[in-house]
Amino acid sequence: MTTLARRLGGVTQTRKSAVSTGASVPVVLALVGVAVFLVVGSLSSSIFAQQTVAGLAQGAIFGSLALALVLIYRATEVINFAQGELAMAMTYVGYQLTIWGLSYWLAFALTLVISFIVGVAIQLVVIRPVQHRSVIAVVIVTVGLFILIDGLVTWKWGADLKFMRAPFGNTVYHVGNVAFARQDLGVLLVSILSVILLGILFRFTKLGLAMRAAALRPAAASLVGVRVNWMLAIGWGLASVLGAVAGLMTEPSQFLQPTMMQPILLYAFAAAVLGGLESPVGAVIGGLAVGVFLNLTGQYVGFATSELRLPIAFAVLLIVLLVKPTGLFGRKQVRRV
Amino acid sequence: MGMKGRILAVVAGAAIVASIAVAAASGAHRLDPGITSTSIKIGGTFPLTGPASLYKTIPAAEKAYFDYVNDHGGVNGRKIDFTILDDAYDPSKTVPLAQQLVTSDKVFAVYGSLGTAPGLATWGYLNQQKVPQVQLATGDSYWGFSYKKYPWTTGWQPDYPGEAKAYGKYIVANMPNAKIGVLFQNDAYGKNYYAGLRVGLGAKKSNIVDAESYDVTNPSLTQQILALKSKGADTFVVFATPTPTITALVTAAKVGWTPSATLINNVSANRLFLLAAAASGANVDGVISTSYVASSTTQSSLPGVKLAGSIIAQYAPSLQSSFAKGDGNIMYGFGSAWTLVYALQHAGKTPTRAGLLKALHSLNTSANPFVYPGIKLQTSAKDNFPIEQEMMIKWAGGATGDWAPFGNLLTNVR
Amino acid sequence: MRRIPVAGATVGLLATLVIVLLHFGLSSYHQGLAARVAVYFIAILGLNILIGYTGQISIGHGAFMAIGGYTTAIMSADHHLNLIATLPLSFAITFACGLIVGLPALRLSGVYLALATFALAVSVPQFPLKFSKFTGGSNGMQTAQTPGNSWLYWVTWSCAGIGFVLAWLILRGRTGRAFRAVRDSALAAASSGVSLPIYKTLAFGISAAYAGVAGSLFVLVTNGFAQPNEFGVLLSLQLLIGAAVAGLGSLWGVLAGAAFIALLPTISASAPLVGSSHGQDVVFGLIVILIMLVLPNGVVGLLARLGQRRNA
Repeated sequence: MTTLARRLGGVTQTRKSAVSTGASVPVVLALVGVAVFLVVGSLSSSIFAQQTVAGLAQGAIFGSLALALVLIYRATEVINFAQGELAMAMTYVGYQLTIWGLSYWLAFALTLVISFIVGVAIQLVVIRPVQHRSVIAVVIVTVGLFILIDGLVTWKWGADLKFMRAPFGNTVYHVGNVAFARQDLGVLLVSILSVILLGILFRFTKLGLAMRAAALRPAAASLVGVRVNWMLAIGWGLASVLGAVAGLMTEPSQFLQPTMMQPILLYAFAAAVLGGLESPVGAVIGGLAVGVFLNLTGQYVGFATSELRLPIAFAVLLIVLLVKPTGLFGRKQVRRV
Repeated sequence: MGMKGRILAVVAGAAIVASIAVAAASGAHRLDPGITSTSIKIGGTFPLTGPASLYKTIPAAEKAYFDYVNDHGGVNGRKIDFTILDDAYDPSKTVPLAQQLVTSDKVFAVYGSLGTAPGLATWGYLNQQKVPQVQLATGDSYWGFSYKKYPWTTGWQPDYPGEAKAYGKYIVANMPNAKIGVLFQNDAYGKNYYAGLRVGLGAKKSNIVDAESYDVTNPSLTQQILALKSKGADTFVVFATPTPTITALVTAAKVGWTPSATLINNVSANRLFLLAAAASGANVDGVISTSYVASSTTQSSLPGVKLAGSIIAQYAPSLQSSFAKGDGNIMYGFGSAWTLVYALQHAGKTPTRAGLLKALHSLNTSANPFVYPGIKLQTSAKDNFPIEQEMMIKWAGGATGDWAPFGNLLTNVR
Repeated sequence: MRRIPVAGATVGLLATLVIVLLHFGLSSYHQGLAARVAVYFIAILGLNILIGYTGQISIGHGAFMAIGGYTTAIMSADHHLNLIATLPLSFAITFACGLIVGLPALRLSGVYLALATFALAVSVPQFPLKFSKFTGGSNGMQTAQTPGNSWLYWVTWSCAGIGFVLAWLILRGRTGRAFRAVRDSALAAASSGVSLPIYKTLAFGISAAYAGVAGSLFVLVTNGFAQPNEFGVLLSLQLLIGAAVAGLGSLWGVLAGAAFIALLPTISASAPLVGSSHGQDVVFGLIVILIMLVLPNGVVGLLARLGQRRNA
């Protein structure tokens, strides 16, 4: 570990701050301001508080999927358009396991394992051969995967709604006038927990270090004995796991259907760009921000009717891309292209 | 309608019937496309894939019924050959498929095609080609009202605005002080329902405290439901497609909103959906809707339900489990298919396209065993709405419950 | 270099002849299908100019098709403009839209540009729903006339021919050289006096205008019916797939790409092996992936490789 770390010193140091937060002072100040605004608003209005909490729960799901996108972006510099469909397919796997008699959480754990294997396999079989060709080639392969997975799932399970047992029960807690669904809190907790676990993996394990090295300086990493290709595949595996978490956490509110993750993926794009495509922390905060922003504009801005939610989210995305392409938490690209 | 208008309508109606009769007479010696001495070829477009694919049990049930009829002598000895094509609810796919049905498959009639936009995308073409476009599976009122301009197009089910009017009247009569919160899909479907509700409420439409729309790209409905709750609504009216309806009911419970009354439109009042919503924590007891088909669960002793059960067992075993759970779409498919067979039997010994339309424009029968008992299929030269009666239903029994009818059969639903 | 125009002209003449003759050999239904191929041909041609020749990616060309399509629908339905006359109008409007989109695109490249254009593909179909007063919302919009398949065949393939010749003229001249310079080395292009902003934006405008005309024709082959569902994200993705199948940076492969996305769903639906309707998606997705794995340069690359083998 230490020798590897020393030999990769140059690599990790240039990137370390980007991995930790990468946020500049104004960004941090702005975030603190937003947090204060949300707290004050929540204390003064119960509907504001409820919209905020629901937005956070929704945002945590956006964040998980956005984080999956970021992982893959960091590993292979592409956007995986099939990320949402993969998450959906893995949720169906979890559903099938519960049908076969497994308890919810056992099925949950097993689904994550299967997701990892599937993610690795996809990288090895279809992504690796085109990886070095061009962005367009990889994007098109992921689009092909999108269509393929969608077709396979509909073929196997059909397109009608399916339901899993509610993992968190249906209890509602009341604090004053504000109702908190146990389900929302559970979703928030599971999503945040998986992000923290992933953070620990990246920051404090040898595997995490090797993965970061493989993504950032493949040539240097392979010189010091990191099996770069395997690391990239593991990156896809972990992204697939995060996607499965997002899918399983979406199921209690949207239920199982082949289209369940498509809107979520679109918002996850916006979240990932907002946070900075290179920044895991940014993805999560970006997700939470998009979730809360959508709910509050829906409540208080009359013009923002339902059909405009998506254009609004993407307007945010476009503005971020133009004003600060690296997002809230991204650093200027250090990588040479 | 004034006296003059009525006369005009009668004259126009008579003209249509006359022209169709003339066409029928002149076409008598030659067989219409899709007709042979042993078969009648029909086809339709349905969303077998994509966002609306949960309706795919409708064509499956229709096909099962035609198979059953074919094994029992067919229609005057002719077997019905039903082609089911998938348009995924995308009008740009419906158009070439409709052309395929007409020019390549050479169908006698386009039957049962599902969806308003797919219907609107093809009715110009089909009417121009004088191909019957019958019993469209959508409750928009265009089909019923536009028979003068589009004489080859007919609908089947009660229309949406009429249904919504009935809810409005029900609220006025039973909950005059309701504070109404409406959730509707942000397209013509949802907006027509919403407009119908306002008509039905009449002077009481000021009781609507909030109306929130949702888009199919919204990741959840929590924002909308919270908004309705925050405006103090105590009567929840949902004009949505099935999946968002379930989500809405579940979400309401999740955010701690317990309106004193909930009404949902009948497209979404499939028993399967309510069971699922209840299992996911929704408060479904007391939810109100309407129905116009027989229930395969609560009315299992009806001859029509028994017949449907035996047909499914023999011709479409894959539908068995959802039939047993009360999937209303299956009964819908049977009811619609029965109507087509009935009309074909009345379209002449050798059916003609004009004869089929004439039969569909002069329905007058209570014999359809698959619709709600007492409902009469009735049309005339100037009334192109086959079903104008519905039963109000209320849910009881929670997560293992079912719909129970109440009150009298509603009439003039349109 | 001098022989290419002659060979090109010969092939072009042959292609024209085939298209003209084909009209008389095809049934009305197949004329309709062929017209759809022409529509995709025009759109992919435009996309290919952008991606293949200037190296800028777009996953949002369905949005330009939507703008063109609604231009035709609105001008015909509300202003009774002749259907053919709406085509140049679509061309002009989407050209302007393309320039507007091309300006911010100057700051973006690679994945970022992909995401930004994807945002367009997702957002634009939402606007007809919001402004349903002008667009008919989800009930769509019907042009005043609905042309028959024979008319559609002639018009779409004429447009495709004009578009192809126009693209060929643009790409072989000074503009084309500038485009390729932008793609191959922005630095070198700038230092040799090619104005990057102008040519990059211009490429976006031209490419969008092609998509716009394709969108107009797309509405016409859909019985003159414009509706938001027709212009979903999948359309943009299909165009991208078509461009990849065609082989980026080549004009001749475009026909193969267009035929691929226009006809494969129809063909695979009737394949007995697939049977189930969902099988279509499986087959389509698999073929897309396989093509990317096996034919890195699309159909044209394959032809070129076969040609080399024969010569060797």
